[in-house]
Order: sequence, then C-alpha cells, then structure tokens
Amino acid sequence: MDPRMCRKISSSESLPDAENVEYEVSNIIAPQESEENFLIEGSPEPNSVSWLDDEQIEDLDLNLDQTNLFFHRVDSADIIYRSKKKKCKMVGKYVMGDVLGEGSYGKVKEMLDSESLCRRAVKILKKRKLRRIPNGEQNVQREIQLLRILRHRNVIELVDVMYNDEKQKMYLVMEFCVGVLQDMLESSPGKKFPQRQAHDYFTQLLDGLEYLHGQGVVHKDIKPGNLLLTLDHTLKITDFGVAEALDMFSPEDTCYTGQGSPAFQPPEIANGAEQFSGIKVDIWSSGVTLYNMTTGRYPFEGDNVYRLLEAIGRGEPAPPPAALGPALGALLERMLKRDPALRPTVNEIKRHVWVQATPPLEAGERLVSPRSRRSDELHTSTVIPYLVERHYASAQEYFTERDLRHELGDGGSRTLSTAELSDGESTRQKRRWHSSCGRLPSCRLT
Amino acid sequence: MPLFGKSQKSPAELVRSLKDAVTALERGDKKAEKAQEDVSKNLVLIKNMLYGTSDAEPQTDIIVAQLAQELYNTNLLLLLIQNLNRIDFEGKKDVAQVFNNVLRRQIGTRSPTVEYICTKPEILFTLMSGYEHQEIASNCGTMLRECARYEALAKIMLYSDDFYNFFRYVEVSTFDIASDAFSTFKELLTRHKMLCAEFLEANYDKVFSHYQRLLNSENYVTRRQSLKLLGELLLDRHNFSIMTRYITNPDNLKLMMNMLKEKSRNIQFEAFHVFKVFVANPNKPKPILDILLRNQDKLVDFLTKFHTDRSEDEQFNDEKAYLIKQIKELKPLEH
Repeated sequence: MDPRMCRKISSSESLPDAENVEYEVSNIIAPQESEENFLIEGSPEPNSVSWLDDEQIEDLDLNLDQTNLFFHRVDSADIIYRSKKKKCKMVGKYVMGDVLGEGSYGKVKEMLDSESLCRRAVKILKKRKLRRIPNGEQNVQREIQLLRILRHRNVIELVDVMYNDEKQKMYLVMEFCVGVLQDMLESSPGKKFPQRQAHDYFTQLLDGLEYLHGQGVVHKDIKPGNLLLTLDHTLKITDFGVAEALDMFSPEDTCYTGQGSPAFQPPEIANGAEQFSGIKVDIWSSGVTLYNMTTGRYPFEGDNVYRLLEAIGRGEPAPPPAALGPALGALLERMLKRDPALRPTVNEIKRHVWVQATPPLEAGERLVSPRSRRSDELHTSTVIPYLVERHYASAQEYFTERDLRHELGDGGSRTLSTAELSDGESTRQKRRWHSSCGRLPSCRLT
Repeated sequence: MPLFGKSQKSPAELVRSLKDAVTALERGDKKAEKAQEDVSKNLVLIKNMLYGTSDAEPQTDIIVAQLAQELYNTNLLLLLIQNLNRIDFEGKKDVAQVFNNVLRRQIGTRSPTVEYICTKPEILFTLMSGYEHQEIASNCGTMLRECARYEALAKIMLYSDDFYNFFRYVEVSTFDIASDAFSTFKELLTRHKMLCAEFLEANYDKVFSHYQRLLNSENYVTRRQSLKLLGELLLDRHNFSIMTRYITNPDNLKLMMNMLKEKSRNIQFEAFHVFKVFVANPNKPKPILDILLRNQDKLVDFLTKFHTDRSEDEQFNDEKAYLIKQIKELKPLEH
C-alpha cells in the first residue's frame, strides 16, 4: 500500500531527504538542485566560495527553472570530496547533532544537553512551514499544552520549549529515542515483529493509553509511526498534534473531529460521523497497529485514500491470518468491531488471554532491534563529531577518491558506512585525535 | 546435572529441610543457632535454583515447577512470612526474592502462585501486618507490591478490613516504613484502574472518612503525600463518579481552602489542584456555590497573589487565570 496512507491527511508532504549526505561534490559547475545540498562554485579555489548550510538553503525556498539544468559528466576519479562541515552549533544550552527524522513541520535532530549531558531529541518547527499545514499552528500549541501535563513512562516527555523569533523557529526538546516502530517494521523480514516482541510493545501501548485516557486525553493518531522506542525498549507514544482533551465534567468521551492517518481510522470517522466516542477511536487504531505489527499487513487496503476509506467504512476487515493463533485473532476481531460500543475497553484488553500470556519466541524468529533509518547499530551519539570538529578541528578539508582508497587499504570489497566516510580523514589527523582523547573509553573511535 | 561435585538436593528435599529448619527456629529451643544456619543455607539453595548463580544457570522449568508445587503443598511460603522476623538479615532478603520469583511464574495464561495465594489469603494479611514490625517492614513491602501487580490479589487486599490499617501505617513515626507503606497504599489505589474505581465507589464513605484523617495529619509528609494522591485520584477519569461525588461536599471544599492557606508552599500548590476542580465544575451544587460566593472577593484577591513567582509554569498560570475569572463571574442561583 502507498505508505502515504499511513500519514496524516492534513499534512502537506515534503520530500524525505534521500540520503544522509555526508559528502558534497564540489567541482561541478552547473547548478544542481538537490534537497540537501545546493552548491554553486565558479572557481576551482574553494576558499572564494561562501558555503550555505542546509538550513539556509532550505530557507531560500528555491524554485529553479528546470530548463537550466543539464547533465554534466565528471569522471569519478576527479571528484573531490569534502567532508561535510561539522560545525558545532548550540541552541540554548544544547549542542546540535544530526537529523534523526523529518516531518511535514520540520526536522527532528539529536541534541546533547551541555549541562546534564543527557541525549535529547529536538523537533524544530518553522513558522513558515507550519502555516502551510491546515491547523498547523493550533495543533502545535495544543500538543505543547498537553505534553506539559502528561507524565508517564510510555508517553514522550517534553523537556523544554525554546523560541527563536528572529529565525521564526520553535524548538521542542524531548526525550531521546532511538527508533520508530514504523522504521523497524519496514526493515524487518515480512514487515512484522515476532509475536513476542509485538506483545511487549502492545502491552506498553496499553499502559500508555490507559494513562492518557485516565487524564482525559484522546490521542486519535495511534500508529507504528507515532510509537518510539528508547534504548531500553521502552515504548513512547508521541505526536499529540491531533490529540484532544475531553471535558473533565462530562461523563461522555464525545469527539467531533478526526484528523488522524487514513489507514488507522475507524469506520465511524471514515463514514463522516458528526460525533463519536474518542476512546474507541484509539482502541480501533491500536487494533490496526497490532494487526500491522503481527501480520505486516493492514486490515483494510485500497488503491487510494478514497477506496481505502470506503473499505474501512464498510467495516469488514480482512480476517486475521489463522497463523496468528486463535487468541490473537479473536482479540483483533474484537478491537476491529464496526460498532464502537462492541470494541473492548483498555481494561478488557488487558484481561484478554493473548495479553495475559507472554507468547514464546518461535524457532527461527529473531527480535528486531530498534533502529531508525539514520542511526547505526550502536546508536552512537551524532553530537560527538561536531564536538570533535570544534575541539580537534582537522586541517585537511578536501580529499579525492584516491585518498579514500589509500586510507581504506584498496577498499575493494569493503562497503563504506557513512560514519566511516565522514571520519575518513588522513591518518595523521586520526592519530592526533586518538592520542588526545583515545584514553577516554567513551571517546574511542570504532 | 550438578556442576560442582556434591549431588544436588531435589526440590522436595530442599523444601522439607527448609521447613524443618523454620519450624525449629519457630520453636526457639536450644538448637536455634543451628536452625538459623540451616534456614539461611537452604534459602540460598532455593534462590540459586530460581535465579542461577554466577557460574550456574537457573534450573529447568520442570525443576522450578516441582519446587513451586512443593512450596504450595507444604504451605512453606506462609510459614516463612510468619517467621520472617526470626530469620537473619540476608535470609529475609532471600525470602522476598524467592517469593517474588515464584509469584511471577506463568504457565501459559495462568499464574499458579497467584491462584494459590487466592486460596490462602492469610499470606497477604500476614504480609500487610509486616508493617507493624520495623525489622521486616521493607521486606514485606517489596512482596506486597509484587502481589499488588495482580488484580486478583489487589482485590483481596483492598476489600479486606486490614486495608484500613494502611491509614495507620502511612503515618508511623519511622520515615522509611511510612514511605514504604505509602507506596504500597498508592499502588493498591491506582494500579488497576477499574478495580480501584469500583472499590472507591462501593466504599466511598468509609475510605474518605479515613482519608480525611490523613489530610489532617500532624505529620507534614503524610499531609502532603495524601493530598497529592487525592489530586491524582480525583483527576483520573476512571474515578469520574468519585470525583463528582467528592466535589459536591462543602466540607471537602472548606478543607481545601484551608490547605490553600497552609504554611507549606508545596501543600498550597497541591491543594490548588484539588480546589480548581470545585471551581471549574459547571454544575456546582448550592452549598458549594454559597461558600465560594461568601468568599468571592477574598478568593479573587488571594488567588491573584497566589504563587506569583511561578511565572515559568504556563499551565499553572493559565489555570489560575481561569479560576480567577470563574470566581469573579460567580452569581447566586436565581430564586
């Protein structure tokens, strides 16, 4: 299915940046349009050029005349690589690291709290981009307001909020997480988790939901893309952009608007009901999430959003595969009841047999390790290279393919990871960096 | 297979010799010292069976199942807890570890130890009375909180008469026992949302008349902790009907207004979070409205000056502004 259907309807799509580009190709003369890097260089002396960093380029909001582009062939051996400037930047007391992810509102980057040395993630919101999203600014305000009150192991913690009026940016500093369930699912065989793992995440989701509902908050956009994991596999519910706080003095949980992601919407919203039970929306979406985590598929599919919503509206989910076993199948069927009143409450789900028993890890099944598209296996801090650059700056800024090959000893069969490439400076520099801080175990280069 | 020379005792043998040792200890005759030694030794052996050691893995499921079965058959768990104060320091900790491990055991969807304890609720009551004895209070606390994770066991404890002893335990003069008791008390009242809501609803008068005493306690920590917990309970939607009931009682409002004026800023702040519910209620009953109206000007004045240094806390300031507006706009009911 079109992955777009798993995102919110209301968000205007921005291009995901293709690669975490660590290299800038610098001797190309013709202007090149790219999301990450936009370099124009006239003379071979690089010093005469003022480089723009990614954000400045984005701020330019370029609209290039497509006809001006032409192919320009450069022999690969002649390409001069320049390690991307790791310019250490601070926002408040935080040191910025690399981009962790990207949404329609802006980027999420890693940060390091320079006072507590805690790893953090920051959601950078740009006013300009927010204005393009329907209800964008309102949603952010509501998210901040809600996150300020919420405090639970399975709900993302908002640590700090900073504003930069000059740049028209807002920084939401949050707990650091290493991966999104969605990314993990996409990288795993069959796009699903072993039941054992899905069970672990699902029970944590239930704890989080129970807390949220207890606080009178309906999330309305539960899906693997909004479930994060910390290093110790604690699940965190995130993205309260379309969440709603219920009236404290009303015994009902009536909601009037649904803005969540189509594939996870319940029939009542797909059919355009004027009002519906908010809590049962979260139950439904959690059901779709569980279905997705354990089967790699969706209970409803459609070629496009309209077909999809039509299918959901009919409320006849694809029956859970028999391979899931009777307990899980029955639970999914109950959570995906067309009539919201027939769907179980969180408390009832917690008492369900499948939830009560921890499923064993079947032979041949392997746990999927938390990862995002960008992080390495060990989830090394991406802030460190910036700090290294700041304190042990290298002299050599450029190197060619030949340098690289030399460095890696013919580099034939070895594939380069981006991390290696970015550190692929001359051995002299490496030695200096080693001798200066190699003694600290946490600083050792791997 | 035993890894180190000596042949290992079977679970049945171990449990029997531990039981004999504990019984001897209980009798307290001249062989007490020897019994003490035997108890410690056998406890360590059982613990190693369950947890393994640095050079041995935990025993297989079959051995553990046999061990658990023997523990049930001999009622050894209860015996151990009853004699906990006679067992030495390390032994007490071992009892708690063995107990918690056996409790967590699952076979499919079943938790056999939970089922066993349901048939032997004395175990729970003995554990709860552990708060009476300083030297075993914290060991009993760890076991109790592990029990409280299971709805069936939490239910037995909540609905027992012994539950009301907690209102005494959380106030005892030894700080660490009082805190331990409070965390168990809180766990029981918050862990299983539906169970707790049903319990509070069914026993509203009894629980809240006891609770009132905590809020009026001489002990600052008790007052503060219980007020905070009260706020959490009332603001949790699972307890909706308890909240609506609580905020119709003018005595409760008076108590909160007095707590707003307490010396301690922390207590003032916690009281604010309960007080706001009375004011925000769109359907205030007449007695509540009367109190607020009688104090209208004083309240507006008081709140305007209330914790003005919390300028960072937007949430708090929004709520305060909202309350001031609400109180200003209060009008007596017509007719």
